[in-house]
Amino acid sequence: MVEKKIAYTKKEALDFLANHDAYIIAGGSDMMVIKKNVAGYAPLFDKDVLYVSHIKELANIYEDKDGVHIGATATMHEIEHHKLCPSLLRKAISEVASTNIRHFCTLAGNIGNASPAGDTIVIDALLDAKVKLESVDGVRLVDAKDFVLGVRKIYRHPNELITELIFPKIEYTGELWFKVGSRRADSISKVCFAGYYEVKKNVVTKFACCFGAVAIRPARSKELEAKVVGLSLEELKAKQPQIAGDFAQIIAPIDDQRSNKEYRQTVAMNIFNKFIDDIVGGAK
Amino acid sequence: MTSIKFRLNGKDVAVDLDPSMRLIDVLRDHFSLKGVKEGCGEGSCGACVVLMDGYSVNSCLLPLANVEGHEIVTIEGFKETKQFDVLQKAFAEVGGSQCGFCSPGMIIAAQSLLSHNPHPTEEEIKAHMSGNLCRCTGYQAIVQAVEIASKKGAGLW
Amino acid sequence: MEFYKSSTPKIDFPEKIRGEAKFTDDFVLPGMLYAQTVRSTIAKGKIKEIKLPELPEGYYWISAKDIPGENVVNIIFSDWPIFADKEVNYVGEPIGLFVGENKEVLHKLCQQISVIYEEEKPVFDLVNSYIHKEFTKGDFSKAEKNAVKTIKETYETGYQEQAYIEPQGILCYIDEDDKFYLTGSMQCPFYIRKAVARALGIAPEKVRVKQPAVGGAFGGKEHYPSLTGSQLAVAVNKIHRPVKMCFERFEDMAYTTKRHPSVSTYEAFIGKNNEILGLRIRVKLNGGAYKGCSGVVLSRALIASCNAYVFENLDVAGDVYCTNTVPTAAFRGFGAPQTIFAMEMFIHHVAKELGVDPLQLRMKYLAKQGDITTNSGEFHDPIVLPQLLDKAMEMSDYKRKVVEYAKPGSNKGIGMSLFLHGCGFTGSGESTIINGKVKLIKDENDHVHVYASSADFGQGNRTTLARIVSNTLGLPAEQCTMEAADTDHTPDSGPTAASRTIIIVGFLMEKAAKQLKKIWKSGVRQEHIESYVGPSYIHWDEDTMQGDAYPSYSWGVNIVEVSFDPVSYQIKVDHCWSTYDVGRVVDERIAVGQADGGLLQGLGYGYLEHMGIKDGKFRNRSLSDYIIPTFEDAPPMETAFIDNPFIYGANGAKGMGELTLVGGAPAIALAIEQAIGHKVNKIPATPEYIMEVINHDKH
Repeated sequence: MVEKKIAYTKKEALDFLANHDAYIIAGGSDMMVIKKNVAGYAPLFDKDVLYVSHIKELANIYEDKDGVHIGATATMHEIEHHKLCPSLLRKAISEVASTNIRHFCTLAGNIGNASPAGDTIVIDALLDAKVKLESVDGVRLVDAKDFVLGVRKIYRHPNELITELIFPKIEYTGELWFKVGSRRADSISKVCFAGYYEVKKNVVTKFACCFGAVAIRPARSKELEAKVVGLSLEELKAKQPQIAGDFAQIIAPIDDQRSNKEYRQTVAMNIFNKFIDDIVGGAK
Repeated sequence: MTSIKFRLNGKDVAVDLDPSMRLIDVLRDHFSLKGVKEGCGEGSCGACVVLMDGYSVNSCLLPLANVEGHEIVTIEGFKETKQFDVLQKAFAEVGGSQCGFCSPGMIIAAQSLLSHNPHPTEEEIKAHMSGNLCRCTGYQAIVQAVEIASKKGAGLW
Repeated sequence: MEFYKSSTPKIDFPEKIRGEAKFTDDFVLPGMLYAQTVRSTIAKGKIKEIKLPELPEGYYWISAKDIPGENVVNIIFSDWPIFADKEVNYVGEPIGLFVGENKEVLHKLCQQISVIYEEEKPVFDLVNSYIHKEFTKGDFSKAEKNAVKTIKETYETGYQEQAYIEPQGILCYIDEDDKFYLTGSMQCPFYIRKAVARALGIAPEKVRVKQPAVGGAFGGKEHYPSLTGSQLAVAVNKIHRPVKMCFERFEDMAYTTKRHPSVSTYEAFIGKNNEILGLRIRVKLNGGAYKGCSGVVLSRALIASCNAYVFENLDVAGDVYCTNTVPTAAFRGFGAPQTIFAMEMFIHHVAKELGVDPLQLRMKYLAKQGDITTNSGEFHDPIVLPQLLDKAMEMSDYKRKVVEYAKPGSNKGIGMSLFLHGCGFTGSGESTIINGKVKLIKDENDHVHVYASSADFGQGNRTTLARIVSNTLGLPAEQCTMEAADTDHTPDSGPTAASRTIIIVGFLMEKAAKQLKKIWKSGVRQEHIESYVGPSYIHWDEDTMQGDAYPSYSWGVNIVEVSFDPVSYQIKVDHCWSTYDVGRVVDERIAVGQADGGLLQGLGYGYLEHMGIKDGKFRNRSLSDYIIPTFEDAPPMETAFIDNPFIYGANGAKGMGELTLVGGAPAIALAIEQAIGHKVNKIPATPEYIMEVINHDKH
């Protein structure tokens, strides 16, 4: 018989995780579907379950020198409407699932589940967010980009709890969030893209972008991004096909019931090119 | 099994059930609140939506554990309110309900919206309610109903 | 006109909006058991052996061997077994039921059962025709001979899932009168009664079917509950306890009937003066593993194959193909959406090819009163299509927009469809096959109770039929009420299908009410039953498909405006305008509700609702993966009706339930064509398809 524990404090949760290999449930919007049983019966869990949504100390959103801290039990609804939170994150969240679900699902849950079609994990990776993991043994900070290892695989030790995500403050002059779902709302991404840039005196001084739903985890290449930084807008325009060609190599979309790989590949690169066009055109 | 306590339609309740049970099953099977409907079982259709602390949530996705200490209102509780009366009259006026299976969820979603945004624009109504599917009306009548309720019920929300 | 413009409160509205209406899954009876279906896991093969797990006490296995009557589901063509016995023909075909108290245990039993098959090679392509129909009009060989050129195109339409928000469900028990009592999510109580009687080998009078609240149907609950109802009745016959079976969404989407996918080839024979001398039309429908009602679906597809146009010479033929897939069956429109899509695209493409204005070409061939129909019958009634067109174009500013959006790079498009829909059963079927009846009972308090087997699953029948009666009697609306259908108390008015409820059953109601008015005695209980007698001028030969295909037709125009995003190939529907001739509207609010809901379903069919299938298994088996429109996808819709009373309709009313769906797909497809600057020959025109079309034309 698996054990089910409702934690009301962080300490209770960490103590439980110290000796239980457990599923951690915040909002439950993903796990309750994955583990669904026949209607009328409790979901089928093959190991212990820890419920964390009642931990108030993890619901805070605040800012300090490291950036904006978003507690693991803050709901997406709260984040979406919180002025401290990065605008790209808020934009992306406004298109996650539906308002009903955003009333209880969490950002930490989204990265904890590591679905390749997750939207906010793209933002986490793009904005160099850090995942704060705590256990009875201490605290660990992992780059969000490295935290997602693959399809539903994350870099979390069994005794650890995601307690918050920390978004460092990044200044930039332009941003793009582009989600391609199968309809205009309440949909799962076929492709999504997030990017930001800074242009000073006709030269690209910052450039970052990340693709979602087109690889087993968010696709970002700091190496390729670095090649864009320092280019003048004319050079960027001239090199656009080559740059796009390079970035096209970092994604590996697949066929599934929602779309096909040709579409995902083409649209991902269309969005990328739109992003470059925005940079080149916007600064004129 | 630990007892889970919460407020349900204005009353304090406690249940000794598996905390991982879906709230929808607890409401329908344990409390016989059959106005909560299951249309998809995965949060896509909104037929099972109830209010948790005033916000619309999908009861098919919520584990009972998460409800502890919160206030849940289903259509059975909400139908006794003035706000419901304004909403139902508006739905009747424009034909916002056909087969009726999505209707309790629609009403709850509308209440969630109006209680936080008493005078929403058409775009805001659509954005807020897009997690509630209807296959009969084409939605237009429901948008109109929420607009009418927002006007006629001014001051209630 | 007060009657036409006003609306009455919907009879079932209060209980539905308050969440008090009882749907199938809301019934819990003492001692009730549940059923779970064991389904074939392969697409085709022989069942060699069924190894049952050990059944806990109080659990039962129900299979073909338990059927006391015939192992067929009584549908129009009864080839569909209640339980697969020796062979299976599609993935998901029911083999048996586990019945018991605990659904979790039933689920485990379904996983533990082992069915040994001898697998055979399944067929998924349209190669084995099992229904063929054909007819000609005029002298086709002359058209062929005189043609200076031909234009030929092929159109494809996909599956469409009804996606009613309440999944299928049914409940059966033996009642106090020793009858098999069934209630469930249904359209046609008398279909179920007949099917159960045949399955059990008992008289239909020993079966009682009562309709509860039904959460949408759209054709999906026309025949399927005859299957599940028969299954449960067989179980109850063995176990003698109430049994309920409600599908969850996955089971419903994966294994219940959908709209027939189609491939239609249209060939126009063009004369010297750019006139269309004749059309050759070939229609292929995918019927799935069993015929069921597919023959009738094919009939309607072929009858509608020239849509609202009249051509002198026709050579029309169609086939339904047997494939090892879930059987396809009724869905709002019943074969017509497939060919109306094809015809609308074709006439537009032909016009472009001939270098003439598409609207003018359409006008040239538009049906007029007295014209000879596709099946060599006659359009008997006045046709107001030109007025519908003018009104719709005026509402939408069509003429300006169609020019403006043609400019390259506008990424906007506007599309228009003109269409008709035959009301009621094919030909003289209403008089000869169905012969519907209705009953009125006036009680001692002069309250009139309206009885018909027309099920209300959202369309508002209980309100509109009662209203026809109250209006005819000159009574306040609340003095006439209609209860839900119950085969013990309501006469068989025929199925709730084929846009027949208002035009046929409503007409009967009106006649019955007129009769009651004549004999009216206040304070006395009075009863009147009325049987259908159709227009005597309707003649139809089913074998040759010649004659008057329907008692009458309703007409419509849809105009749809879209925007195209060249980055994502996505389409946004910006606005829709519709005009309809449904005779005379009975209740405007209900009519507008049908118009909005039907059009959005038709639009979804045209651009959004993709149902993939691989190795005989549907891929989009949830409401997250099968995409129906949400609030955000729904455009503003403006609707106008033009009054054109039909002499054999209730207060002049004709049918409208299906009419509002059939034009949506071609209108949006034509709008998409303009927005993307490429032909659309396949629906749904998903972004994936649009990308393919654009890239293909580029290379």
